Amino acid sequence: MSEQNDNLENLMRQSMAGDQRAYAALLTETARLLKPFLSRRLRFSNEVDDLLQEILLSIHKARHTYDGKRPYKPWVYAIAKFRLLDHLRAHYADHLRHAEDYDELEEILPDDVTETALSYESISAEVEKLPEKQATILRLMHQDGYTAKEVAAKIGMNESAVKVAAHRAYKILRERLER
Amino acid sequence: MNDIEQLVATLSSDMQPVKSAPHPYKLSLQWIGAAALYLLVTLALTGLRPDWRESFVEPWFVAEIVTLFALFIVSALGTALLAFPDLHQKRLLAFAPLVPAVLFAGVILLAWQADTPPAPLPEHSIECTCSILLTMLLPAFWTFYSLRRYASTHYRLAGSIALLSAFSIGALWLRLHEVNDSIAHVVEWHYLPMLGVGLLGLWVGRLVLKW
Repeated sequence: MSEQNDNLENLMRQSMAGDQRAYAALLTETARLLKPFLSRRLRFSNEVDDLLQEILLSIHKARHTYDGKRPYKPWVYAIAKFRLLDHLRAHYADHLRHAEDYDELEEILPDDVTETALSYESISAEVEKLPEKQATILRLMHQDGYTAKEVAAKIGMNESAVKVAAHRAYKILRERLER
Repeated sequence: MNDIEQLVATLSSDMQPVKSAPHPYKLSLQWIGAAALYLLVTLALTGLRPDWRESFVEPWFVAEIVTLFALFIVSALGTALLAFPDLHQKRLLAFAPLVPAVLFAGVILLAWQADTPPAPLPEHSIECTCSILLTMLLPAFWTFYSLRRYASTHYRLAGSIALLSAFSIGALWLRLHEVNDSIAHVVEWHYLPMLGVGLLGLWVGRLVLKW
């Protein structure tokens, strides 16, 4: 373990001197080190990968704050924890917003939020005027026949967020078509 | 090649020799030196209180100035440590400003109790707060500007302690400049606003130091 630590500190010192190969090895080793740390705290593997990339970028940005005389791991974990907390904060804030939207959604149930009485073709021109994300979701669901779950996986959102976005799009469309 | 490998390749190809950030002790010494110089210049321009000889034999006044000065020094050190992601692995020292802050509050409380009969209140009031706030602007701006070059993972706290340090400079200047023995006035218009400034620092820290 101590040998591995020494190795990381040596790699960081060499990196700071401008050794690009040492830096690549250090970042690879850091990613390997942090992956289980993030996996234990996050549910989806795509989240882990996204956050890991963000952490590597942060390490790169803050590299001048590393002091070669100090251990590398506490420094790198401080950055990882900081980015993880930031991510979780944003994630839960997002969840809270969606939970509020769900309350609204429940009011109109049992209307099926993934089905409309109109055909997609007849309103496709209106759909294209929607914000890009909403238009993409409707296109995938109604033109290409994907379920909300499949759309979520395809565009990297969670299922509830897709349903909420679809619901918002329906509301906008309904208002526009009723005019 | 997956995303991580690609990112590693991009970042490593961007790697050039990097100059390490100065040690936080050195960094805080720079801030303290510059702030002390600023305080001296401001006092030279505005003048030392005419009764300073008498004031400096008053034990509570001396204790107040000493603890305020300690708060300024230790909060500058705390800010410098908080500028580093891992607090330079000196976590306890980063939160050390609490010690002079408690001491300072204790000294003020005891000085207030010792102020019998109470010294007459000066005619002015909020002007003192405004003067302190104006005086602290330059050191605060400089500290935040300098902090932005580092990578604080405690940006709210760093902002708050940085503003406290700058406010201490302003408060020191006013106590050494203004002829005023009323501790009630000093508490209300010099030191209570310090709490507000500390809270404001949490917000400014988030706004300016988030990276």
